[in-house]
Amino acid sequence: MNINATLLGQTLAFVIFVAICWKYVWPPIIAIMEEREKRIADGLEAAKKADDSLEEAQLAFDQEMNKAKAEAAEILEKANSRASQIVNDATEKAEVEAEKILSSASKTIENDVNKAKEELRQKMSELIIDTSEKILGDEISPEKHQELLKKAASEL
Amino acid sequence: MASASGEQTSAEYIQHHLTNLVCGKTPDGWTCDHYAVDQMGFWAFHVDSLGWSIFLGLVFVGLFRLGIPKLSTEAPSGIQNFVEMCIEFVNENVQSIFTSAKNKLIGPMALTVLVWVFLMNLMDLVPVDYLPTLAGKVAEATGMVENSKDAYFKVVPTTDPNITLGMALAVFVLIIFYSIKIKGLKGFLAELTLHPFGKWMMPVNLVLEGVNLIAKPISLGLRLFGNLYAGEMIFILIALMLTFSSISIGLLGVGLHLIWALFHILILALQAFIFMVLTIVYLAMAHETEDH
Repeated sequence: MNINATLLGQTLAFVIFVAICWKYVWPPIIAIMEEREKRIADGLEAAKKADDSLEEAQLAFDQEMNKAKAEAAEILEKANSRASQIVNDATEKAEVEAEKILSSASKTIENDVNKAKEELRQKMSELIIDTSEKILGDEISPEKHQELLKKAASEL
Repeated sequence: MASASGEQTSAEYIQHHLTNLVCGKTPDGWTCDHYAVDQMGFWAFHVDSLGWSIFLGLVFVGLFRLGIPKLSTEAPSGIQNFVEMCIEFVNENVQSIFTSAKNKLIGPMALTVLVWVFLMNLMDLVPVDYLPTLAGKVAEATGMVENSKDAYFKVVPTTDPNITLGMALAVFVLIIFYSIKIKGLKGFLAELTLHPFGKWMMPVNLVLEGVNLIAKPISLGLRLFGNLYAGEMIFILIALMLTFSSISIGLLGVGLHLIWALFHILILALQAFIFMVLTIVYLAMAHETEDH
């Protein structure tokens, strides 16, 4: 239990080992640990940033999407109304045309009928005159009995 | 184990285990002869304590510096993992105690104290007869002593008050150094003389504060020494049980040895930790500038 120079030897050894630890052991490991800490912090921050930008992008995407949808709906509506207008116009035009055609056709028919009637009358009266001439001889001439012929034609 | 001690009495067996291998200066010159110890004055060295202490210090430096072939910032593995864990633990303790002042020396010193003292304490778990017996055989074989009984070899450095007080002395010098550096010589002297009773009671203050100051290194060194010395003593007493011829006492000794060794693991780590924390606390107090 006696105190002797061992004490001073241990003090010296203590100073030397603390100095070695201070100079060579502690700094490199602390530096490595701090560097790793920084890297982890940076990584976390980057991850947070990426998360934020992803959210932003999602938001922008949603906005664009909604806009595009609205536009598409508008275009569709316009197209629909335009199409129905075209159909209406075409129908109207067709109806008018059809009426026109119908009316001209009926006019033509009427004309033809009138013409045929006129012709028929003409032929009839001539036939009557011819027949009458044959029956009555020369007594009846077309020139002489023009009036009579006209009267007969109008009565037919 | 008992066979190595031959026809020793119990007292001799214990005494043998508690005696250091001493080399020192006698009037006839330097010698390591055990029978010349009485003639040695202050200039004597406990070669065993000091040798183990320095060897374990080198183990610490080797493990923490050379044990890591390449430091990596990636996930650490193996020894680096362990080393980083130790350093982080020490750093946390230092930062929780050193709140205001900053000192780059405290961390490395606390780490050295923790690991070195722990390694020295750990030698306590080596069965008490192994290394002394080996040393005795080596000494006898090399002709250093005629009988292995005359070769003394005390393994655990922290059971030697020279070792613990030696470290406490270094801490004490640092306490005074930083007190003067931070507060100035005037501030340090004022702290010693003007508290707690004001300037008219200077001598009383000096006595009180002086005791307070001296008590720090003494208690620091003796606490570690006392705990380890007592632990070692119990190991020796348990080992003594195995020298009896009774088998039942021998078996009891084996059981007790196991229990005490398990319990001692806690004490070893705890005492190393306490030594470290007190070192940090004392130095933090040396850095405090405000008045009490």
